[in-house]
Formats: sequence, C-alpha cells, structure tokens
Amino acid sequence: MRSSVIAVFLLLCLVSASASAESWRALTPEQREALAPLVQQWDTLPEKQRLRLLETAKHYSQLTPEKKQRYHDRLEKWSKLTPEQREAARKKYRAFKKVPTEKREQVKQMVMEEQAKKTQQQASGIPTASVIDQK
Amino acid sequence: MITKLNPGKIAQLLTQSTRQLDADTLSALVAARQNALKKQSVRAPVFELSTGRQTHSLIPDSAQQWVVAGLFVAMLIVGTSFWHHVQEQQLSELDVAILTDDLPIEVFVD
Repeated sequence: MRSSVIAVFLLLCLVSASASAESWRALTPEQREALAPLVQQWDTLPEKQRLRLLETAKHYSQLTPEKKQRYHDRLEKWSKLTPEQREAARKKYRAFKKVPTEKREQVKQMVMEEQAKKTQQQASGIPTASVIDQK
Repeated sequence: MITKLNPGKIAQLLTQSTRQLDADTLSALVAARQNALKKQSVRAPVFELSTGRQTHSLIPDSAQQWVVAGLFVAMLIVGTSFWHHVQEQQLSELDVAILTDDLPIEVFVD
C-alpha cells in the first residue's frame, strides 16, 4: 500500500516537473543557441510560450544552415505575436499545405517576385505596398 | 390419545413409512425435490463481487481498493499528460515548419 502511494506521488512529481519552463540561465547551451534571438525577452515570456519555444528548439540542431538562419530571423517576430495570431498563422499554414503542389509553387513564385521587387524598390528609396497589405 | 414421541422415534417412523411407498410415489417425490432445487438455484445470485457486500459505495474501503483506485488515477494522469505532450510536439513541429518555410512568415500572419 505504502509503496503504491509513493509510486503515484513520484509519477505526479514527474508529470509536474516535465511541465516547468526554465529561466534563460537554466537553459542548456544547445537551447540557448537555438533561442539566441530571444535572450532579452526570454524571462518575461509567458511560461506556456516558453515551453512551446523549447519544443521548437529541439528541432534546431537538425535544420540546414539556411533553415537555421530563417528560424533565427523569424523567431523574435513570432514570439511577439499574440497567441491568437499564432493560431491563425498555423491554420493558414495547414490550409496552404493542402493546396496542390503546382498551385503552391505558383504562389511561392509570386511571393518571391514581390519580395524581390520590394527589396529592389526599398534599395532605390521608393515606398511600396507589401504582398500582405495587398491581400 | 396423546403419545409422546421423541425426534429419534419420529425419524424411525418416517424411514419406515418411506420404505412402504410404491415406486411411482417415490419417483414423483424425487422429481418434485429436483424441481424445487432447480428453482432455488435460479434465485441464488449468479454473480457476486468479491466483497460480498449488498450495497457498493464509490469510496474504496479496503487497502486493495485504494491501490486500484490510486493506480487508475495515476494512469489517467499519465495518459492525459502523454496525450498533451504529443499535441505539443505536433504543434512545435508545425511552428518550426512556419519558421523555416520558403515563404516569409508575413504570408501566414494577419
């Protein structure tokens, strides 16, 4: 009886321990490398968000250098979105993945062209509307 | 006329008179007895919990029941926690996909 109660207690401890988000200083070097762009605001982020970001950081080491760069470039903006905005983005992304590959490539091509045009115009000092603003 | 009979004497008289019964009466009595026994076995409980109690409360009252209840609760918690973990993992994979996709994040953000 006593051993069973102890086992249940340990299980509960394990469950609660696995759900605690750590402070920046307590992160592993790998986690810090992955989440480097968030060093300033990490400790101020809500616990739930920190836990989710730690989950994403687990995939960082398996990314290609190009994807690692994208991950770092977008991480700060992503963390500043509201939970609702992030959820909406996930829904859009899921929906976009269901679009036939051919059409998806067309959209990608269009967005890339728009981006290139925008970068070019920004370089020459002409203000322009973004792809998103036009949507 | 009242004759005083002791239990031993009564049993002796019954055995004696049973011997005098004819075969038909005896077989009818045997059949009636079997029938009565069958009816009795139907009335007996078919299934009974090991506790043997007439009423069962939801609150465990023995150490064994507490252990079973505790294990059940622990399994429920672990199961829920595992399901939650799987959900979080799927969500994180999706987040990584968005954060590393060819398309900029602005395409998916309102």
